[in-house]
This record gives sequence, structure tokens and C-alpha cells, in this order.
Amino acid sequence: MKINIENLGFSFNCKLCKNYYLKIAKQDTQENTLLVGFPSNGLVGTFSVSYLIHHLKMKQVGEIEIPDLPSTLFVEGGEILVPIRVYNKNNIFIIISDVPFNQYLAENFAVAVHKFCKKFAIKKIVIVSGMETASKEKKPPKIYGLVTHPILENTLYENQIPKFLDGSIFGTDAAIISVFRKTKIPALVLYAECHPFFPDPEASIVAIVTLAKILDVNVDTSDIQNKMDRLRIQHRNLMEETIRTLQQQQQEKQTRAPQIYR
Amino acid sequence: MIKNIDFKFEIIPPIINSLFDDIEHRILSPLSCLREFDNHWMLEFDLPLVSKKDIKIIFDGNTINVEAKLKEKYSEEQLGKITKFEYFKKSISLPGKIDSKKTAAKFQKGRLEIKIPKKMLGHSVKIN
Repeated sequence: MKINIENLGFSFNCKLCKNYYLKIAKQDTQENTLLVGFPSNGLVGTFSVSYLIHHLKMKQVGEIEIPDLPSTLFVEGGEILVPIRVYNKNNIFIIISDVPFNQYLAENFAVAVHKFCKKFAIKKIVIVSGMETASKEKKPPKIYGLVTHPILENTLYENQIPKFLDGSIFGTDAAIISVFRKTKIPALVLYAECHPFFPDPEASIVAIVTLAKILDVNVDTSDIQNKMDRLRIQHRNLMEETIRTLQQQQQEKQTRAPQIYR
Repeated sequence: MIKNIDFKFEIIPPIINSLFDDIEHRILSPLSCLREFDNHWMLEFDLPLVSKKDIKIIFDGNTINVEAKLKEKYSEEQLGKITKFEYFKKSISLPGKIDSKKTAAKFQKGRLEIKIPKKMLGHSVKIN
């Protein structure tokens, strides 16, 4: 794993990369919080986290490489972007991945996120994801929360987020939860009800509003509301790629289960 | 990803079809998914920027064709060239016998749901 971070006010050594001795920025007295978003059901994590980056005018401060991730680069306005990037503003950090992970990469990603948290004194992490729903009602999607440590139960209560009670989790969410529940860093996973196979910006708006409450920041969602239809068209290929990866993860998981339990 | 156990019906992994946009004819390929239930298929298309009146659904044997005109043109850069797309179009072949005359469709929030009953063939077996 290689973590490159610049201008964060920290310095650290990394075995696989050069040492970075960085500028010392003004230390913030608030606790550092990390948000994590990656392609999953309805692309809820991708939409909501990238909207916050844009809306809060967060700056890219680093990038994360994980072993065996196929070489992929994105070019935006002539700028080369790696798939997994780190953004920061004040005490908020964001790790966003533009590529979905198979089971093996998901585990590597979870370890990389945990190493990042240790290096940068992250006190809690919030993961944003989607939950498939059978509901066809016209009501706004609901959002549920799952915490790895009791200390975050209060965050659910204060922000009126119902607790996710029953279900099974697999994929990248499960990999991150599995890593963090064994550590001292608490994690909160937000699951917004969404269409599982189509991009769902409507569910993402619910996630954005909830994230804004948790982070105590003001976020105007009118921009994403105006662009919902176009976002759905624009992200068709990423959604398709994500579904294929999720199906592969599910199959990998099933092949490990004893025959009797199928 | 999470699967809620309240999700009552059994889902066969949905069939997701690859997307091939037709740049020459300015046609977008919509996302779609096909799910199998006990006595019907549920075929869904994601059709944002579309009005219900501009959707055409046509059966041809076991193949279903969906075509929809966009309310406004959608521009996208593909292969270094900006294309203004005007339509969604896709054909899906259903894997089993269907009763196309009893098919029902619903369009809300830019999503088209087509419920296609299966044609039940065969005979019952008496248990001795």
C-alpha cells in the first residue's frame, strides 16, 4: 500500500514510497472525521460523497494505491486523477473511489482506510452506501445507520437515524466494517434505500442531508436535484460495472458457504 | 452492499445487459434489468429525461423492444467527439415462454417497469 499525502500538516514515512515531510498547517481542535464513498447500490456513496467534495470546495490532498488494483487513470480537464483519492477541509477528510472493488480488493481497500485513519488521527469514520428496497411507494427513501461501537449510537439518536436491524451485508461495506469493529476507531455506515441496479441520485440526496447533519455543515442540495436525470444517464457505465462486481462478490461469497446452508 | 431480509421475493441475479450507444443515430442504450419471479418476469428500464407519452413498447415474439424520445437532447463526449443524443433504444430477449397479451407496464420517476406473465406449460403429476 502506498499513501501519498501532501499539505495536511502531518509527516509520515511509508515503506513503499518516498518520505514526505510536509508543511505544518494550523491544527484544528475538532476531531477528525473521515467519510468514505465507493460505487455500490444505486451509486449512493459515489454521488453523495462527490457532491460534498464539490459543494464544500474540498481540496485533493492525496491519493491511495492498493495492491493489485488494475491500472486505471481518469483525465478531467487535462488533469490526471487516480481512482482512489483523499480530500480534506478543516477536520473533514474524504476518501472516494471511482472504481468498484471485488472481494479481494475490498479487503485491501479496508486495510488501507484503516492505515490512513491511524496515520491521521481519525476519530470516527462514516461510510455511505445504498440498500436495495422492494418499496415502490412514492415516499422519499429512508436512511438507516449501523455502528461498530456503542459510542456512535448517540450520533444515530441525535440525528434521528433509525438503526439498521436485520439483513446481511457483503462486499466493500462488509470488508470495512469487519476491519473497523476490531479496532478502536468507530465506524458508522449509512444505508439509504435505493434502486439496487440503477443510479439513484434521489437516495443520494437523503444521504447528503443526513451527512450534513452529522458533520454539522450546511449543504444546499438544489444543484444535485437539478441534475438528477443527467447524472443517471452519465453514470450508466459505472453502474453497470458496479453491478457486475457486486454479483461477482456475491457469487464468491456463496461459493464459500457450505452446501447445506444454501 | 446490503441485502435486507425484508425483501420478500426471491431474486435470480438480474440480467444486466451491456450498454452500446449508437453514436451515428444518436441513440443511448438505457440501463435495464430483468428479474425472474415465480409466475412472471419483471423487466425494468432506467429512462431519465423521458415522458411517458414518448415511450414505445413493442413485442416481437420473445423479444421486447423499448424506444423513448428524450425531452431534451443529452450531450456526451465519446471517443473525443461530442454527440447530442435524442433517443433511448434497447431490445431484450426473454429467456422463457411469455404471455405478451397480459403484459402490464408502469412508468414512474423515470423508471419503466414491465411485468410479463410467464406462459405456464406442462401438466401436473399425481402422487401415489
